[in-house]
Amino acid sequence: WPFTSTSKVPDNASRQDRAKCWESRDLYFACLDAENVTVPGKEGDKCSSAKKGYEQNCAKSWVDYFNKRRILAEQQKPLLEQA
Amino acid sequence: MQTVTTLRLALRGPPSARCAPRRFSWRWPRTPATPRPTRRGYATSSADEPPPEKPRVTFEDKYKNKSVVGVFTPVSALLFVGVGAALYFYFDWEKQRLQKQREEERLSRSYGRPTVGGPFELTTHDGRPFSDKDLLGKWSLIYFGFTNCPDICPEELDKMTEAVDILDKEFGPLVQPIFITVDPARDTPAQLARYVADFHPRMVGLRGDYAASKAVCRAYRVYFSTPPGTQPGDDYLVDHSIYFYFMDPDGKFVDAFGKASAVPDVVERVRKEFAAWKEERGGLT
Repeated sequence: WPFTSTSKVPDNASRQDRAKCWESRDLYFACLDAENVTVPGKEGDKCSSAKKGYEQNCAKSWVDYFNKRRILAEQQKPLLEQA
Repeated sequence: MQTVTTLRLALRGPPSARCAPRRFSWRWPRTPATPRPTRRGYATSSADEPPPEKPRVTFEDKYKNKSVVGVFTPVSALLFVGVGAALYFYFDWEKQRLQKQREEERLSRSYGRPTVGGPFELTTHDGRPFSDKDLLGKWSLIYFGFTNCPDICPEELDKMTEAVDILDKEFGPLVQPIFITVDPARDTPAQLARYVADFHPRMVGLRGDYAASKAVCRAYRVYFSTPPGTQPGDDYLVDHSIYFYFMDPDGKFVDAFGKASAVPDVVERVRKEFAAWKEERGGLT
């Protein structure tokens, strides 16, 4: 009979799934911060388990969005510090 | 005697040019002239060298006010500065008064308001029709978003939920929270129902077809970017303006709250509006 797939598409309309995605995102980004890497993907093999959890728990468009936002926030930090 | 002499001299010119120097000088005020040596000697000798002239005391020297700078006497300078300072403070006070008046006028209900809002025809997450007529008789907080929104929509809806909870406790269920989707392709009624269930229990989810969504967004001046041909299975984000709109029981726009407004700000604004409405109409709806 059919194998039940362990990975399921995150349901963006559910509060729990959203929270799970945000948590895994925060874990992954914390790992990146520890490695002093801004751009997700540039850290090589370091945060691979966190990255896997992040990409599994969040929809692809969300992953792209959060990654872009992280880069933008890093770019804007010197401007904000100046203010 | 005086006038005759004056007249004679006026006609004949100063006498020192013609004869021995007179006793009185012709400059005013009349002072005895300093004795001057005659210059009519025939031979000049060192003894007769005219002694060096004493420095002349002019009118200005005698009557000049030494404490004057340019055209300013001390008193006039003080007056100038005093009047300047008084004028500055007066203008400042007047400006502040006008600003306060303008602020009050802006908040007052009789002054002009932006034309946000208008007719629309949508369906609730329960499948019932909902139009702009359903806004009448109740206060509304309307947020435009989509269920696949990463974090901003949930944040704003949480903010709205909290504000409505506080207002419910204080005034009863007067404010209806409304969520209008800008992504009708993916936000089916079932999806909407699941989404709004996570927020305030009275929250209504509204959707329409692409044309109806576009119409309501245009009426509320909401920008959104869904292309028309997207399929429910696609994974994309809809860029949209992030505001929730506060409408009064006449269906007219009152104020918009953005990311910068916190829950206390929203509650305060609603309270103020309630008070103004009550004063005008007697009740709260």
